[in-house]
Amino acid sequence: MAAEMTDGIEKFADNTDAQVPSNPSFPSGDQTVWADVSPLLQLASQDLHDGELIHGENFNLFAAMSALEIMDPKMDSGIVSTYCSVDEAIEKGAAPVPLSFNSTIDIQCTIDIMDHLLACEATWHKGHSLAQTVFSCIYLLRPDRISSHALLHSYCMVVRVTCNAVVSAVSDARTNEEEDLFTMTYGLPLKGEGDEKCLSILHAVDETISRQLRASKAPSTKRRVLEDIEPLQTNADLEGGLCKAVLCRLRFRKHFYHVLTCMRRPQGKGLELARKHITSCLSELDSMLKLEEFLKCKSICRTVKDATDDETTASGCQPIGFDFSLNSRLSAPTPPRAIKLLSWRKAVDYFKKLLHDLEVICSYTLDPVLEVVLRFVVAFQKLHPDLVARAYLQLLLVQEGKLYGRDPVFAMICKASLLPDTVKNHDLQKNETIIQLGQLLTNLLRILCTNSAWQRRKLGKILQEWRIVHAQLELAFRKEYGDISNTSNEDVGMNICSYILIWVEEQTYWIATRFLTLGFELELYSPCDYCMVYWYIYVILIKLAERTHIKMMRSNENSRRKGKKKRDSVKDGAKDHQIPPAVSLLQCQICLAEGLVMMLAALRNEYNAFQSVGPFNSEHERFLQHFELLQKACIPDGVSYVSFKETINHARLSTSSTYNCFKDAQRTAKELRTSYSNDPEKLNELRMIEQVAEHNVVALNLVRHLGTLDPSLKVYFEFSHHPHFASAVVKRS
Amino acid sequence: MESNKKNTNQEDKKEEAEGLQEGSEIEYVSYGGEHHLPLIMNLVDQELSEPYSIFTYRYFVYLWPQLSFLAFHDGKCVGTVVCKMGEHRNTLRGYIAMLVVLKPYRGRGIATELVTRSIRVMMDSGCEEVTLEAEVTNKGALALYGRLGFIRAKRLFRYYLNGVDAFRLKLLFPRPEAHQHQSIMKLGFGTYELGSDQQNEETSAE
Repeated sequence: MAAEMTDGIEKFADNTDAQVPSNPSFPSGDQTVWADVSPLLQLASQDLHDGELIHGENFNLFAAMSALEIMDPKMDSGIVSTYCSVDEAIEKGAAPVPLSFNSTIDIQCTIDIMDHLLACEATWHKGHSLAQTVFSCIYLLRPDRISSHALLHSYCMVVRVTCNAVVSAVSDARTNEEEDLFTMTYGLPLKGEGDEKCLSILHAVDETISRQLRASKAPSTKRRVLEDIEPLQTNADLEGGLCKAVLCRLRFRKHFYHVLTCMRRPQGKGLELARKHITSCLSELDSMLKLEEFLKCKSICRTVKDATDDETTASGCQPIGFDFSLNSRLSAPTPPRAIKLLSWRKAVDYFKKLLHDLEVICSYTLDPVLEVVLRFVVAFQKLHPDLVARAYLQLLLVQEGKLYGRDPVFAMICKASLLPDTVKNHDLQKNETIIQLGQLLTNLLRILCTNSAWQRRKLGKILQEWRIVHAQLELAFRKEYGDISNTSNEDVGMNICSYILIWVEEQTYWIATRFLTLGFELELYSPCDYCMVYWYIYVILIKLAERTHIKMMRSNENSRRKGKKKRDSVKDGAKDHQIPPAVSLLQCQICLAEGLVMMLAALRNEYNAFQSVGPFNSEHERFLQHFELLQKACIPDGVSYVSFKETINHARLSTSSTYNCFKDAQRTAKELRTSYSNDPEKLNELRMIEQVAEHNVVALNLVRHLGTLDPSLKVYFEFSHHPHFASAVVKRS
Repeated sequence: MESNKKNTNQEDKKEEAEGLQEGSEIEYVSYGGEHHLPLIMNLVDQELSEPYSIFTYRYFVYLWPQLSFLAFHDGKCVGTVVCKMGEHRNTLRGYIAMLVVLKPYRGRGIATELVTRSIRVMMDSGCEEVTLEAEVTNKGALALYGRLGFIRAKRLFRYYLNGVDAFRLKLLFPRPEAHQHQSIMKLGFGTYELGSDQQNEETSAE
């Protein structure tokens, strides 16, 4: 490259003959003057050899990595292009209109384009650029050319309109921090004239083809009697099948677009209607699949490749009118390498999955209780939804700073703190720190909708903010109300404060728990880290259970106090001393975590297993790195590597406490079943806890009794029963 | 480098057995100048999928020649490591950009030796930590760095252009002066007790 440049400079120097242009387009300024740099460059170019680099101070790694070597096919995306421009591609016949003068082939080719576009769209949703996927379609790049081809025109239009809706949803939700390629659309004709008429145009085409389908079904004698309907194409044998194939594709698009628009109605008001359209979408997708065989064997045309699983069309034919490299010359967001599109079948599967995820969102009850919201989002994330579904969930949850665009955040905080409804209009909601707390909460909801890798990082970061807001609230409350710790005080404002403070702590520990457990899902922990991770989870869960318990007891106490004024209830008193099920469930998890800590610690102490000894650092550094963000935010207070070591130093397999932990978890989980008999999700959690406990008891017994006799026994940990709590497996190595 | 998605990746290095006897015939040399550059480029071009321009190589080997090493066997270059170091959020941080060992030479501890040499120089130069990215599917590399004490600090969603996630691996060196984390917060959560009207003042962090 440098050599080329040198040549260029020499030529430039020869031609200009060292003359400074007399009338440059930029005049000289007060302190600047035009000078000829050719001789300087010429001199410099002799010093610079092929491949050498002038290194400026601002030349960083990013610049180095962004540099391209021109004409290197691995980097220079321009040279792999087939065509220089869309116009050239069209001139050379890459996207004919009509697609064929044979009307049967024309329809078949149109169906192929529809299918390939679906594959492109799914590939885009999965993280590739719009320019290399959907907009590799030449017909979409020049929509005006196909206005005479009603079918293709209407389909391309609805695809474009849908892409536009999805881009705006994802941009509005801003859940795409790491998936920024998704919303890059510059240079692409994403909006066209008359797009708002898209649905009516689609409807008209649907109607015509429906009539053609009806006509094709009528016995031939009657056909002439029927009004003069021109068939979709000329081959009578294929007419019915092709009409159906086209109709289900058009209708899928129509319903899918409806789903997206309904879901964006304010306050979740379109969810019910969206569900109906989702059902229709799914049934149209099924029709598409059913007609796959028909399209495959009836494709009279054209080059059918050897059947593979990679085909991007139902027929298995190559679609015409696409060129993935076209945009690499036209717009920036196209990485140089060719991408692999999803196959048509995989694209259909992708849309099915997306629709099922959207259906879960649409079936949600819009519950005003924060705990229910959090549980819903966490459960939703377990389905591994892709970006688009997560964006729509987030748009539903947070609208105009309110939950579902309906419930003010302060009301949500009051509910979460178990304050009576009457206080939700208290002046306190105007307090600056309370407003800030509200923002933290909506931000948390947003973060919980992002992909789990990004989510964990953000959760780690916001822990500190929650910690700070707690401190600020405490100060603010004290300033206003004096000693807030005095719960016997009847002052309403003060009461609210102490409730909110406890809830903030509880919520902070909840975030910390989610942060730690997501580490398992993301495979961030190696087995030698499990001991310290479970220890940290154990410590956090205890704090979480404490706060939840206090919050619930206080609320009970409050309602009892009010109740007492009317009547004395002995029953209520007895109820108070019971541990609430939510706390018991946490206790189950605490027992499991403790059991795992002690089991792992004993294996370390007695068998030297699950230790990490690297040449450069020790376990202490691993601890600091894993829990850096928690430690920085003092979550919880006074916890350090030293306290971890103290806990585990004396663990032995012979002590019964480890065994008892698992037994307690198992017993409590069993007892809790009745409390959660109407809650399948909690029942499932209880069942998983029981299984983990049971397996670990068995493994523990095995190691205890055989361990010393059989040195070939090895213990492994698997997540076969619970996503976060490991089950020990004993195997001969 | 974090902000750039076209990233360096770490090639598969399987080293189940630390075949030190076999490894002894390998000669390790520090980057010695221009004549080594084509050797490094050839090796990386052969083994890694990401295309790097000559600027990327020069960026590393010119600025941090002391952090790049080559492994030779009978005069043939069979492995290399390319690194950098610099300020990152007020700490000096080392970064392993490329590590390659030719397939037939894997399993002899060559990659471990190469990377260990670089890390040692980083440590002696005052780095507080070393980082790198590796594909989540690259079990060999993950095991190698795991043995050296790296933890998986983060998962990076679809980090590579092929759509694969990456782990950011980190190795923290021991800090002699302050083992305890300096906490920026002095206020701790209060200790609430059930049923008592009296409640402790917030306990300050230890």
